[in-house]
Amino acid sequence: MQTVRLALHAMATRFELLIHGEDMIQLRGAGEEALAEIKRLEQQLSFYDPTSEISQVNCNASEGPVRVTPRLYSLLRTAADVHYKTHGAFDVTVGPLMRCWGFVRGAGSWPDAHARKEALSRTGMDKVVLDDAKRTVAFKLPGMALDLGAIGKGYAIEEAGMFLRDCGVTSALLHGGTSTMVAIGTPPQDGNGWPIGVSDPLEDSQMLTSTSIRDEAFSVSAPKGKAFQKDGKVWGHVIDPRRGYPVQGAALSAVAHPSATICDAISTALLAMGRTEGKQVQQKFRGMRTLCAYHSTGAMDIISLGFNSTDSTTQQ
Amino acid sequence: MTKHTVSRRAFLMGSAALSGAGLVRAANIKTRSWPGNHNDVRCGIIGYGPQGREITATLARVPGAQVAAICDTYAPMLRRAQRDAPEATRHEDYREILDNPDIQAVIVATPTHLHRDMAINALQAGKNVYCEAPMASSIEDAKAIARAAQNATGQIFQVGQTYRSNPQHRSVFQFMRSGAIGRPAMARGQWHAKESWRRASPNADRVRELNWRLDPAVTTGLIGESALLQMDVAYWVLGELPTSVHGFGQIMAWNDGREVPDTVQAIFEFPSGLHMVFDATLASSFDDAYEAYYGSDSTIVFRDRGKAWMFKEVDALMLGWEVYARTDRFYKETGIALLANATQLDAQNVDPTEDDPNVETPLWYALQEFMDNHAFGPYPPAANWERGLEAAAIAITANQAIMERTQKDIDPASYTLD
Repeated sequence: MQTVRLALHAMATRFELLIHGEDMIQLRGAGEEALAEIKRLEQQLSFYDPTSEISQVNCNASEGPVRVTPRLYSLLRTAADVHYKTHGAFDVTVGPLMRCWGFVRGAGSWPDAHARKEALSRTGMDKVVLDDAKRTVAFKLPGMALDLGAIGKGYAIEEAGMFLRDCGVTSALLHGGTSTMVAIGTPPQDGNGWPIGVSDPLEDSQMLTSTSIRDEAFSVSAPKGKAFQKDGKVWGHVIDPRRGYPVQGAALSAVAHPSATICDAISTALLAMGRTEGKQVQQKFRGMRTLCAYHSTGAMDIISLGFNSTDSTTQQ
Repeated sequence: MTKHTVSRRAFLMGSAALSGAGLVRAANIKTRSWPGNHNDVRCGIIGYGPQGREITATLARVPGAQVAAICDTYAPMLRRAQRDAPEATRHEDYREILDNPDIQAVIVATPTHLHRDMAINALQAGKNVYCEAPMASSIEDAKAIARAAQNATGQIFQVGQTYRSNPQHRSVFQFMRSGAIGRPAMARGQWHAKESWRRASPNADRVRELNWRLDPAVTTGLIGESALLQMDVAYWVLGELPTSVHGFGQIMAWNDGREVPDTVQAIFEFPSGLHMVFDATLASSFDDAYEAYYGSDSTIVFRDRGKAWMFKEVDALMLGWEVYARTDRFYKETGIALLANATQLDAQNVDPTEDDPNVETPLWYALQEFMDNHAFGPYPPAANWERGLEAAAIAITANQAIMERTQKDIDPASYTLD
C-alpha cells in the first residue's frame, strides 16, 4: 500500500489530498488531474477574477440574459434549490451585502443604514431569472451580483472527487482549508471510514464532536476569521441574506451528506437559521446529518442530528 | 464591479458591423440573433480530454456557436461530455461526426500525433476545422495537414495558437513593433509547473494512450506541448523565425522510468542575431510562465495569458502617456502596465487603471474569431496553416535537439510547402 499527498493553493485556501493505493505513479496522476479540475473551477467561479464566467455574468446579467455553460447553469439551479429549501437562508446573491459590510476585500466594517438597505434590496435569488431552455441568467435589478463563495468550494471538491473515482481511486480524502471535505472509501487502517473531529469554536483544543465519513462529504462553517468588533459584539463574514446583517448567535455548524456541494451550502445556511428552522432543513435532504452550536449564557447549546456530541448541553 | 454603459456584446456586434465590409455582410448580422439561433454554427468536438472540455465550456459562451457532437474513445470522457453539453450527440468514432451533414465545424483536440488523419479527413468532408496546437508531432504530418488546408479553398482552417487572436497580445505586438524596447538585445521565456505529467486510468490500455506526452515516439515534449503558445508569440513579435536551436534536457524530478525530460532548456538563434533562451520544467512552479523581450530602452514582459508590463531603462525617453499609466511593483522594479484598450475603456467610463472586467480568455477570442469567420469569411485566420506549420516545425526541431542534447539547424524548407 502506497500513499501520495498533494496540495494546491486555490480559492484563497489550501486544498490537500491524501490517496492510498498500489501504484504511486498512477495515484499521483489521478490526484494531479483532480486538483487541476479545482484550479479550473476556481478560474470559472471566482468572484474576484475579472475573466471568470461568474464575473461575466455579474457584469452583464442586469442588462439582459447571459448564456452560461451547462455545468454553471446546473450549479446555479442547485443554489436556487437550496435557497428554496432553506427559506432564503442560503443565497448566492449576497454579493452586494458582502461588499457593503466590507467583507469583499477586507475584514468588515459597519455600513450606514442607507447603504445596507440599498444592498439588501439588491439581494435575493427571487430577483435572478434562470431560463432552463436558453440556459441563461438575468438579474431583475442593476447592481446585483452572484457570489458562489458559500458553495463553490464544495462544488469543486465534489467534482474533483468524481475525477478521482474515474481514475480508479478507491481510498482518498480531499479537503479545502479543513472546512469542506470528501471521503472516498476508507483509509487502509480503519474500515469504518475517515475519522473527522470538529473543534470547539470557543476552545480549539477541545473537540465538539468526532465522527467517521466514508463515501460521503462533510463541511463545517463558523463566522470566525474575517470579523470585526462593534458594541462588544463580534460581527463575522457570514451574512444573513434575509435580514442583511452578519449572523449572531450561531457559533458553528457541521453537515455530513453524500454531496460536498450540498454540505458546503447547508453549513453556511444553518448559521443564518434559528434552531427550529435548522432542524427542519435536515429533514429535507435525505442522508444528511447536522450539528449546530449556538452561543448561550455560560455555555453553548448544541443541537445534533445524527452526530455524537461530546460536551453538549442540549442534545436531541 | 464597474457598470458599463455599453455592454461588450453590443459593442462587439457594433464593431463587427462597421468592419464587416458592405451591406451583404451587415444583413448577415441581423440573422445572427443570439443565443439559440438556428443559424448557430454546429460544432463537433473530437477528443474530450482537458483541452476538449475547455473548448466545449468556452464555446458555450461564444456567440453563434453550438456544440452539437462530441467524440471520445473512452466511456468516462463521454459521460463527462453528457454533463458538460447535454444537447450534444456522443460518438466513439469521429467519422460519424464527419458524416453528419449538419455539422459545419470540427474541432480537433486529440493527442498531437492523432491530428493528421482527423484534420485532413475533416477538411475532405467539407468541414471547417479548428486544430489544436501543435498542429502535428512530425514535420511530415504538419505539411500534410498544411497542404490539405491550402487545398481546401472556401473552407476555414485555424490552428489553436490562441494568442494570435488575443486583443491584449495584438495591442502589445503593435507596441513592440513600433520600437518601444529600443535596440533589441535578447529574449527569454519560461514555463514552470510542478506536476508529473502522468495521467491515470483504471484501464491499462487507456493508461498507455493517455500518457502519449511521455512517449518519445510521438511527443513534442515540454517545448511543444507546454511552451508552444509562448514561443509562437516570440516569432510573432520579433517578426522572424529561428534558424537554429540548441537543446538540453534532463530528468530532475520524476525519475519514474520516463525517457522524456521533465526539465528542458532551448536556445533559439534568429536571423537578426538575436537569441532567445527558453526553459521549461515540471519540477518547480516558481514564477510560473512568462516571456521577456530585452532592449536598450526597455524590457517588455508578457505573463498571465496576455498581461504585459514595460520596465524602462533610466536613460530612455519619457513617453507621453506614461504619466497616466498604471504601474505595478515587482520587487525592486516598477512595471508600466500595457493595457489593450485603455482609450476604449475610458470612453465607456471604465477606469483604465483597473483590470478590464469584460476581458475574456485567449481561447475565447480564438474561438470567437473562428465563429466570426463562418459569418463573414472565409478569410485566412490569424493562426492559419502557415503559422501552424511554422510553430510545429520549430517545436519538433527543438524537441529533437533537446532529446539529442545537441544543436540543430532549422531547415527553412520546413517552414513552407514546396
